[in-house]
Amino acid sequence: MPTFYLDGQPIEFEKGETILAAARRYGREIPHYCYHPGLKVTAQCRMCLVDVVDAGNGNPIPKLQTSCSTPAAEGMKVDSQNEKVKAGQNTINEFLLVNHPLDCPICDQAGECDLQNFAFTYGTGHSEMEYEKRVYGWREVGSFLVLERNRCIHCSRCERFSRDVEGSHDFGMFLRTHELTFDTYEDEQIQHKFQGNLADICPVGAIMNRDWRFKKRAWKLKKTPSVCTSCSTGCNVTVEQEGGRIYRYKPRENQAVNRWWMCDEGRVGFHHLNDHTKRNVEPQARVQGKLRDVSWDAVYGAVAQRLAELKATGAQVVGLADTFATNEELYLFKQLLADGFGSDTVLYPHVEGRQQEQPPHDRVDPFLFTLITTDKSPNTAGAKALGLTPDTDGATVRNALGSATKVVFILGAPFADNDAIRQAAQQAALVVQIGTFHSRWQDVVDVILPGLTEVEREGTYTNKAGRVQRIGRALKPPATCRPQTTIMTELLGAMGKEIAPMHAGEVFDTLAGQDGAFKGLRWDAIGPQGAELSGA
Amino acid sequence: MAEEKLLLLKNIRRADYDGSLAAYRRAGGFTALKKALDEFDADKLVELTKASGLRGRGGAGFPTGMKWSFMAKGTGKPAYLICNADESEPGTFKDHLLIQRDPFLFLEGMIIGCYALTCNHGYIYIRGESIPAAKHLQAAIDTLYTEGLLGKNILGSGYDLELTLHRGAGAYICGEETALLDSLEGKRGQPRFKPPFPAVAGYNGCPTSVNNVETLSCMPFIVNEGAEAFKAIGTPNNSGTHLVSISGHVAKPGVYEVEMGVPLIDIIKDLAGGVRDGKALKAVIPGGASANVLKADECNVPYDFDSLAKAGTMMGSSAVMVFDEDTDMVEVASRTIRFFNHESCGQCTPCREGTFWLKNLVREFLDGDGDQTKLERVVRVAGGLMGTTICAFGDATGGPMRTFVQKFPEDFKRHFTMASAGAA
Repeated sequence: MPTFYLDGQPIEFEKGETILAAARRYGREIPHYCYHPGLKVTAQCRMCLVDVVDAGNGNPIPKLQTSCSTPAAEGMKVDSQNEKVKAGQNTINEFLLVNHPLDCPICDQAGECDLQNFAFTYGTGHSEMEYEKRVYGWREVGSFLVLERNRCIHCSRCERFSRDVEGSHDFGMFLRTHELTFDTYEDEQIQHKFQGNLADICPVGAIMNRDWRFKKRAWKLKKTPSVCTSCSTGCNVTVEQEGGRIYRYKPRENQAVNRWWMCDEGRVGFHHLNDHTKRNVEPQARVQGKLRDVSWDAVYGAVAQRLAELKATGAQVVGLADTFATNEELYLFKQLLADGFGSDTVLYPHVEGRQQEQPPHDRVDPFLFTLITTDKSPNTAGAKALGLTPDTDGATVRNALGSATKVVFILGAPFADNDAIRQAAQQAALVVQIGTFHSRWQDVVDVILPGLTEVEREGTYTNKAGRVQRIGRALKPPATCRPQTTIMTELLGAMGKEIAPMHAGEVFDTLAGQDGAFKGLRWDAIGPQGAELSGA
Repeated sequence: MAEEKLLLLKNIRRADYDGSLAAYRRAGGFTALKKALDEFDADKLVELTKASGLRGRGGAGFPTGMKWSFMAKGTGKPAYLICNADESEPGTFKDHLLIQRDPFLFLEGMIIGCYALTCNHGYIYIRGESIPAAKHLQAAIDTLYTEGLLGKNILGSGYDLELTLHRGAGAYICGEETALLDSLEGKRGQPRFKPPFPAVAGYNGCPTSVNNVETLSCMPFIVNEGAEAFKAIGTPNNSGTHLVSISGHVAKPGVYEVEMGVPLIDIIKDLAGGVRDGKALKAVIPGGASANVLKADECNVPYDFDSLAKAGTMMGSSAVMVFDEDTDMVEVASRTIRFFNHESCGQCTPCREGTFWLKNLVREFLDGDGDQTKLERVVRVAGGLMGTTICAFGDATGGPMRTFVQKFPEDFKRHFTMASAGAA
């Protein structure tokens, strides 16, 4: 492969690749604002200037060149750190601060602001601009974003996203010279469902996510890689929390799933994970008609005894699982029903997800619009791949419950709003729920065993395209709750079927060791970008 | 004693010339086009242009034949010749003279140029403010269609050419060729970074050459009289004549056609009547507002591309602006920077912020608040615009602003505050 040299380091490049793009693949960051790998190159911020001391033909290029737009050449020698480059970077930084307001103390971008970071590293540290800065009027552009135009450094990433990725071009450049501004037309509001991406790509605090604004300083956030659970796409995200509270989801790059983007629904879809008033916190058992808190040992003992009685009478056992359960939990759930009761009746609500949004016209790559599906759960594909029985209209479940069933196990809160199913389940002798959030099952179940949310436990989900992706533990769960896998293992143990407690990874490797869609995968090999099911 | 040498203004200088097609034909017009179509193919015409040494008259002075030879071949895409009639460089009005008084000379040159590039649809981009000139030019184009000199099978040669006149919308930056292309494509008029160059990917991504009105107007002479005849005029590497727009404190402002290489001071004295009202000369901007100013004693320089470049300035669009002894060069600097700040497209950092800052700095002097620190700051900030921008606008602003300070520091010092004036 052809090679050029950046500060003496050899860098291999693809034909046509620019200096900056090739350097980034080697982890060499040349400071820049307007360049973004998902957007067209405009070379307008001028921050990525480098000195091409040899263009590959023995001659230097006299002027500093923008590395984002200069194609690499065989034998080219580029210096990104000499005095000439440093002087250029000083100049560009100084010009950027000419009209930029010193809003850092009140600006949410502080701590993750490119302008702050590069001013610190590549600036001179003092200003000589003594005149009144240009000020733009206030503009409302919708309920999702806040626009602070005074902070804009005119990198045009927002326009390029609006025109080339989302396609409607409802946000773009107006006017010229120092009055150049990025805005919507007249009083229009931005309408689409991908606005949060504009806040992500804005290098400064000019475009902000209103849901996140003023809530927490960026440097206090602790970050955990995970996936979004608001629909079956499973966009890769970073869960950002502090003090046990999630403040923000940001997309994590995964070229195979969501590229650099995520939708607004997913972006604000975490709030219920912070609400402990809506979740099960203690194990509970129904005593004289009312659910009462009990201890884990007590409830396991009671359940085991009741199950033994019912089993002796030949009771049938049905399992209902929702598609927020992980692959590991669904696998163990099937095993619980099979090993514990010889039952293979395990059903889940199957939603055939469709693309929810359409691009504004056919001249734009429609990829962005494939991100939101109508299946608002993360693991439908996992349930299907693991061989659970799909129910699309409630009839299959009602049939299963209608016969001589005596025991119903519920994992999560599937079919919670289906009155007919709840009433059918009420006829059972014992209904045990392993669940995390309150639901209408509360009126029916005999036992609740409190589990963890998707940000409190490890595990994998299978997205709509058959990709297995890991969720991450971002928050510490309440001490009184237990991972769903642990609960099922302990239940089996209470019933005399001892199996060693297994970490989610061990469950996964066990399930992947068997014939089926997961065969050949390994927990360790899934990594932060996921892995595809074989034959998916 | 400098005299005019008339190649392009030959017809216009005649009192009885009305610029009509009939008059142009009587003066020998369209013989060059016939000769080009009959005796040349596209490649031969490009070679002829190269041999003539013709250099662009729009401001950059790039050899025209070489530019045409860079046009990418075999792309499967149509080739375009686009005439830049934006003429917005302050002090320049020569193209409009040709358009308004001898449009068919220019159009004949345009058609020859299109033929040389095998372009079947040429565009003329004229400045939006020039409504009378645009109307006049459109009428001339319509006449050519009627006469079979545009459209299908021109003069029975089998060569087809459509010509579209497009009006700009009021931006100086659209005179920059890549901004012109974006504007013509219906986008904001904003320069593109190069590479890719227009010869490879220009108008709608097709091979394109953008050429000035006067440059194309030289083609009839070159075709009729030959490359050597054109090269015989002017100086080595600076062939032919060129149109000089002279304005400012001269007795006879206007457009004059001179051989390349005539001393600038002679053009001012002999053709433009010298500085008016008997005043002394103070300064001359030799090539439009983008050119570095010359002091009075620097004006004995041959007026051609290379000599002016060696003198630390440029010929640019051949717009000579003359300033007499009563001129405050700070006012000239202020007018210049206010123009450039207003016209900056705004997309790149140094120009957008730098022209704003410079404008404020220079105004401080006019407000009587100047000092040595601010003076040095003007030079420093102006330097920051040079070599760092997407297009030449940065250099076109930074160079002149820096030069005003470096060559006329006394004018700036007269605007220092009382306190610092004492210290300076």
